[in-house]
Amino acid sequence: MTDPSGLTITEKILSRVSGGPPVRAGQEIQARPDFVLAYVFGGFVKFPRLIRETFGVERLTDPQRFALFLDHNIPVTDHRLEARMGEVRDWCAGQGVAIHDGEGIGHVAAAELGYATPGAFAVHFDGHVSQLGTYGTLAMGIHIGLYEAFARPAINLRVPSTVRIDLTGTLQPGVMARDILHALIARHGADVCNGAVLELGGPGADTLTLDDLQTITGLAMFTGAVTAIVEPTRRSLAYALPRARLDLSPVRSDPDARYARRLTCDLGEVRLSVAAPPSSANVHALCEVLGTPVQVGYLGSCASGRIEDLRAAARVLEGRAVKSGFTLNIVPSSRRIMIQAAEEGLIARLAAAGAFISSPTCSYCYGAVGALAAGQTAVSSGTLNIPGRMGSAEAKIYLANPAVVAATAIEGRLADPRPYL
Amino acid sequence: MTPPTLRGRVAWIFDEANFDVDRILGFEAMREHDAATLARCAMKSFDPGFAEAVRLGDLLIGGPNFGYGHPHGPPMAAMRRLGVAAVVAESFAPLYAMGEFASGFPQITCPGICRAVRRWDVIEVDWACHSVSNLTRGGEVRFLPFSAHERDLVAAGGLFNLLRSAPESSRLSAIDDK
Repeated sequence: MTDPSGLTITEKILSRVSGGPPVRAGQEIQARPDFVLAYVFGGFVKFPRLIRETFGVERLTDPQRFALFLDHNIPVTDHRLEARMGEVRDWCAGQGVAIHDGEGIGHVAAAELGYATPGAFAVHFDGHVSQLGTYGTLAMGIHIGLYEAFARPAINLRVPSTVRIDLTGTLQPGVMARDILHALIARHGADVCNGAVLELGGPGADTLTLDDLQTITGLAMFTGAVTAIVEPTRRSLAYALPRARLDLSPVRSDPDARYARRLTCDLGEVRLSVAAPPSSANVHALCEVLGTPVQVGYLGSCASGRIEDLRAAARVLEGRAVKSGFTLNIVPSSRRIMIQAAEEGLIARLAAAGAFISSPTCSYCYGAVGALAAGQTAVSSGTLNIPGRMGSAEAKIYLANPAVVAATAIEGRLADPRPYL
Repeated sequence: MTPPTLRGRVAWIFDEANFDVDRILGFEAMREHDAATLARCAMKSFDPGFAEAVRLGDLLIGGPNFGYGHPHGPPMAAMRRLGVAAVVAESFAPLYAMGEFASGFPQITCPGICRAVRRWDVIEVDWACHSVSNLTRGGEVRFLPFSAHERDLVAAGGLFNLLRSAPESSRLSAIDDK
């Protein structure tokens, strides 16, 4: 018998790309991704050879579906890696596959470059691609399952259920998007969305900037989610549709869609917070750890380094100085963001305060540069705080919002940004 | 095709929620590329004797949301090298589970498993009945069935083997033609 209830955004998008009747959570399908995105990192530096020699794929069908991002280990510090990257550039040129070289951190650049097409289905090796969900794109990390997307026109997938979170209210001063994610984890557990899609909507979503929403959706994996998606709004469509690479209709959940769980989050109740070492699940109120001595700050990665983050840091640091002996690394997350930050004078203000500013790269996020020494403590608005993530396993990382990172740089200890705003 | 019944000892119970498997090796060891070295380093900070104690066919037990964080491949590659046959957990972080299934490594979602076993108990995974039995103390816990694709991945020994062996279905071609 046909299920009379409505469909979620996820079910609608996966219905279209599986080419048959409407699909429901739990169904096993074969889905043809609209976009297959990848970065050139780790084993993926060898993937052109692998897909040819192992899977016998000489030429990709529909090469316009594929895109590569050179964002890790940029700038290259090893001549052998540069040679591998050259191999990838040549392969892309030969296949007619887009390669985005120096555009910035792939997940962020992908939104700017139109892969965040509302209603589209995109896959990547890496789960932080979920941030394209800000624009109504179903973007899933599928790990090495990505090879299936290179070798076959469609991938095998079980349609995920959805946890709907309705946002209400507005954030208090100094509180930022990262704190919303922390609040969800603290209240409902780091597995609140286990195996499901985190769907955001409600009036509160419209009070957040698109940057804020990219931060939340990009970190969805830390709620156990497969990915995240936001109901398209006039604002998100105004950004995404002119850039969109495909002509698709934006998709919304039906009012009677079936959710695995439905929660409400009042943004006015969200407090400043940190994820303390050793896990993103270890959330505490900022007031519990204020004063903890810190030597290094990092504002960047696909989890921050957006224009709103740079503005927040510049507001805090304007006319002030990074504490002597403290290293503050600030990395705009895309070339376009860097240009905008320069035009707004943010780069000058941050550099004048003593921040070390780099061109867009993923490398700081995993300690390939700016590595932490044993005994150091860092505050980071990046992705992870597991021991060893940014250098020595004997270093500690507190994850916090960019305003907290900036305030901490002034004081040399975990600090409340509100007195500086 | 139903895989053969798994029977082995519980080599370790990661009973904390949201366990990040990178901790099995630590980041220093994860930068190693040599599989034998990785295997020797596994679990050093939990039990220095682990690599010597574990045997072919042993199993790991995980808590809720096992595999939380960034799911890097080396920790479980080390475990497979040591002979571990599967992970049975309360639940899995999805990206971790996808990666391990793609390596042909069974990830069995089994709510209630942590309370049903102790370290070194012998347990048996019955694929037909979807149950894990504790042969040492008795008792049985049901697990969630794999998807057809997960079954195929495990049977083929991973995604690469599956892609090499499985012809593209007519359905896939049909989707491609749209």
